[in-house]
Amino acid sequence: MTIGLMVGRLLRRGLAGTLALLAGIAIFQFLNPLIADSLGGAGGVQSLIETLPESLRAVARIQPELMGFSGLAGYLSLGFNHPLYLVLLASTTVGFTGRSLAGEIDRGTIALALARPISRRRVYLARVVGLIVLCLALGAVGSAGTWLGVVVSRPAGEFEPAHLLALSGVAILLAWAIGGLTLWFSAASSTAGRVVAWATAVLVVFYFVDYFAELWSVLEPIAPVSLLAYFDPGQALVNGVVRPLDAAVLALAGLGGVVAGAVVFERRDLTV
Amino acid sequence: MAEMRAQHDPDPVIQTTNLSKRYGSVPALVDVTLAIPRGTIFGFLGPNGAGKTTAIRILMGFLKANSGSATIRGHDVWRDGVAARQDVGYLVTADALYPDMPGDDQLDYTAKLSGRPPAIRERVREALELDRASLKRRLGTYSKGMRQKLAIIAALQHDPAVLVLDEPTDGLDPLIQRNFEALLGELRERGTTVFMSSHDLAEVERTCERVAVVRQGRLVANETVADLKRRYHQVATIRFADGVPHGLEHLPGVRLVGREDGAVHLSVGHDVNPLLRFLATTDVWDFSFQPPRLQDVFMDFYGEQTPVADVESHPVERAS
Repeated sequence: MTIGLMVGRLLRRGLAGTLALLAGIAIFQFLNPLIADSLGGAGGVQSLIETLPESLRAVARIQPELMGFSGLAGYLSLGFNHPLYLVLLASTTVGFTGRSLAGEIDRGTIALALARPISRRRVYLARVVGLIVLCLALGAVGSAGTWLGVVVSRPAGEFEPAHLLALSGVAILLAWAIGGLTLWFSAASSTAGRVVAWATAVLVVFYFVDYFAELWSVLEPIAPVSLLAYFDPGQALVNGVVRPLDAAVLALAGLGGVVAGAVVFERRDLTV
Repeated sequence: MAEMRAQHDPDPVIQTTNLSKRYGSVPALVDVTLAIPRGTIFGFLGPNGAGKTTAIRILMGFLKANSGSATIRGHDVWRDGVAARQDVGYLVTADALYPDMPGDDQLDYTAKLSGRPPAIRERVREALELDRASLKRRLGTYSKGMRQKLAIIAALQHDPAVLVLDEPTDGLDPLIQRNFEALLGELRERGTTVFMSSHDLAEVERTCERVAVVRQGRLVANETVADLKRRYHQVATIRFADGVPHGLEHLPGVRLVGREDGAVHLSVGHDVNPLLRFLATTDVWDFSFQPPRLQDVFMDFYGEQTPVADVESHPVERAS
């Protein structure tokens, strides 16, 4: 019961900001099919992408070979590789994990729970449950926005709505991986600002490792270092599958961060 | 009565043994040993940075001691923290409350976290004179004093057996402070044990039976307020009709500490009879006695005031 109580409080705190970010993701994905329709459906999008230089395609993680045969579904997956989507997803996750632990240590509000007969483990578990709820919401809003956009604009090209489930799955896994790592940072820090700084630094490194590995074949061997190498919304939306290796790496990265955070939080001093 | 009951309780409610804590290489608490019996209001005194808050954080399981141990009701506060905090009320700093919550939601939330009904919420609210209408408002609109009152209610509302209070009356006006002190007295009569730190020495003197004084992390005194004050001499100010008589300063337990405008200031021990007998033989214009205050004792420990105490003859460990 106390975990549910704490999760409710955590989710309500900063709710307006979280809802705004979730709405931003939904609107962005809603607009994507409308844009595809305005460009003449899958064929028009394909023609446009072929005119883009390779470096610009890498920014949006566009794979022309996938686009070539995948049509509309391949185009719609671009909305999930787009830097804006990644920034919104990461901001929502990092904001929550930073606020819910390091932010509460900083303000002293965590003492409200820790001064009661509640173990640190349960206090931490409430943060993990909150993160899981947030990840599910992040997975749902992107797919919901895409589905609504397709229903409204009906762009030309093939698209299987059932594949949105797989798309939600990879989005949830990416959010979980980022959230797990930042929860670890949050457990070790005493200010939310520091968590945001650390997480941003790591995510920027991930992004540019992925970007340069895409551009220059000589850097391809370091691509697996980035979590983004295991985030493939194209496969999910086109084929309706999540590669087991990708799912395993993202799930384990998140779990590893969560476990490491639990160990740190259990033992650290809290000056509240 | 509560003190007598407490003194005969073989198991202290709060106990620390050689408790030490360092921040890096800086010692914050050094070998602090305390035993606080049931039904005692215990004052923990010291200036900022002396180690009071560190001790409280260790008791609440927020910090891990480097060495030594601390228990509440027999449970180790670090290894068995949940059991140790089972029946504890802790006063969080007023800034630690959620500013986006209305007062009554905040109280409901903390009561549910405690797992106990808010049995004495109304009694505490009335004592602190926080009106019900204010509880409907978000904390962001509260004054500092109102937030402090709400924090106190949150700590006390479930009627815990042990209270750990860090500067409880900070921000409260004098009238409410007195109400709060009376409330603590009521709780003590029912067997509640209170561990409180305070800068307000007059409040501690009015409220606490026992005090510990901590200086640079070390305990320099730990005894009843009465005993602590008893070891300090009273100051007598006397104005004689015919000048200061000979032999006054040679009376047992009496020491001349100053002269001012024809009056003499004497330091007098517990036994005032030799002085009174002497004065009966002289012509006295004016006479006043100032009993020792806790503040005088405290200041002496910190070297900010010329002591009027004969401390050498008493077994108080003095920090170097």
